[in-house]
Amino acid sequence: MFAQIALGTMEQGLMYAIMVLGVYLTFRILDYADLSVDGSFTLGAATATTMIVGGTDPWLATGMAFIAGTLAGLFTGILHTKFKITPLLSGILTMTALYSINLRVMGRANISLLGSQTIFSDFSKLPLMEEYGVFALSLISVILIGSVIYFFLQTELGLALRATGDNELMIRSLGVNTDFMKILGLSLSNGLVALAGSYVAQKLQFADASMGIGMIIAGLASVIIGEVLIGTSSIGRTIIAVICGGILYRVIIAVVLQLGLEATDLKLITSFIVITALVSPTVRKKIASWSAGVAGKEAQ
Amino acid sequence: MLNVHEVLKTFNQGTINQKIALDKVCLQLLPNDFVTIIGSNGAGKSTLLNAIAGNFLVDSGKISIEGIDITRLPAHKRAGLISRVFQDPLSGTAASMTIEENLIMAFRRGKVRRLRPAIGSKERDLFRVELEKLGLGLENRLTHRVSLLSGGQRQALTLLMATLEKPKLLLLDEHTAALDPKTAEKVLELTCGVTEQQKLTTLMITHNLDHALTFGNRTIMMHEGRVILDIKGIERTDMTISRLLEMFEKASGSHMNNDRMILA
Repeated sequence: MFAQIALGTMEQGLMYAIMVLGVYLTFRILDYADLSVDGSFTLGAATATTMIVGGTDPWLATGMAFIAGTLAGLFTGILHTKFKITPLLSGILTMTALYSINLRVMGRANISLLGSQTIFSDFSKLPLMEEYGVFALSLISVILIGSVIYFFLQTELGLALRATGDNELMIRSLGVNTDFMKILGLSLSNGLVALAGSYVAQKLQFADASMGIGMIIAGLASVIIGEVLIGTSSIGRTIIAVICGGILYRVIIAVVLQLGLEATDLKLITSFIVITALVSPTVRKKIASWSAGVAGKEAQ
Repeated sequence: MLNVHEVLKTFNQGTINQKIALDKVCLQLLPNDFVTIIGSNGAGKSTLLNAIAGNFLVDSGKISIEGIDITRLPAHKRAGLISRVFQDPLSGTAASMTIEENLIMAFRRGKVRRLRPAIGSKERDLFRVELEKLGLGLENRLTHRVSLLSGGQRQALTLLMATLEKPKLLLLDEHTAALDPKTAEKVLELTCGVTEQQKLTTLMITHNLDHALTFGNRTIMMHEGRVILDIKGIERTDMTISRLLEMFEKASGSHMNNDRMILA
């Protein structure tokens, strides 16, 4: 029983880690809080499930989910860079529009994949993968995507992307089209989020129009948890931190559920985690200055 | 070399705050010219540099460099011709990235960014040699984040970044104003060294009238969006700070109301 829950949590954690890597690209690299994530996660799930039910090969459907996500990111990017809409509002507009689009894609509020062929059912047919197929495929995907991002961020293009988030004026004066870099970052990010959505839908064997709600907060929580626990001293370390943060977030959720809280309480808990993570540096500073004050008085 | 012809720029056009920032400015630079620009606050010095760098498009007039018309080009497309050092030491470098990453980005100024590893050992060797010339010990700190450097070190690094790949035109916007006097002298010394060695065409804004007359080969003074004084050669060698102030008052019909310039 416990082993099963642990395995299930790890599987989910690895899938969500793909989404968290996407959030990391915008939130940390581009310094852009992109709310389209809530919509593009569902978009990935909707695209993949609809295509699979329609008879498309699940691997191709998963690839298409990624592309659908990049288009969502492209839209947010154009709203922000070409029409000067603020980052938050651009994301909200895309997210809202995607809710209707996702329902259009699916044709109804939810789709079941029960009994259908998925990337996981395919992968489980490989030798030794019968039991751990979902886990292995998710792990391979995360390692692969994490490595690609790591190497990408060291390329000339990757450096330009990082500099766009760090010092836009400077990198523009060095000849980089920062509008293009932002659109590129948002597209990649939303592509990864949609890819994660397609993985989760194929694992759960259903897609639901509201499955992406709160995903951005979960992503931010994961990024912050990982960074606090593992550190950000280099790009490689931060990527590992972000992946671990995604997994750990799922572990926390699983533990909380085991403690007897309802699944409907999850959003509250997630918000609480993010608030704790955001507030703790300030609180820690206050405590430090307070205890320094006490120590000073004692010394007198 | 640089040709600015009747450039006009009005901010907040059609509103109550309408302000003519550049009033048909004309300016020609010869190759290897090092021109210092002075003028009170709001005279249009920075606006002129911004117009040349392409931070905004001008309302009318023409800007060209070596015969290439850049009037309508966006800033990032002018980067191959122009490099720039800002007043704020924080704005010329990316703080979260390492020294070598900052340098390689500057090394590829104006070129297409490709999907290939950015830094190789050849570039690293070059950076070490160039950083050693700054005399700040940065050559051993290639992989340190720029946020760990002091303001002066960052400004020296920015200057190196601006000249690593020789620009057609170097724009210096009060690039020593935010530094302490000793560091400012050091950065100015580096500036002189590199502009002479690479024979750069340079435009330098300064609030220091002494610097304005000692550095470079030509000085222009701006007031209310116009160039009101342009001195070079013997006229400039004979110029003193008090005479410069006098000429400013005569030309503009007002007093130089800027303590920073008078006390400098």
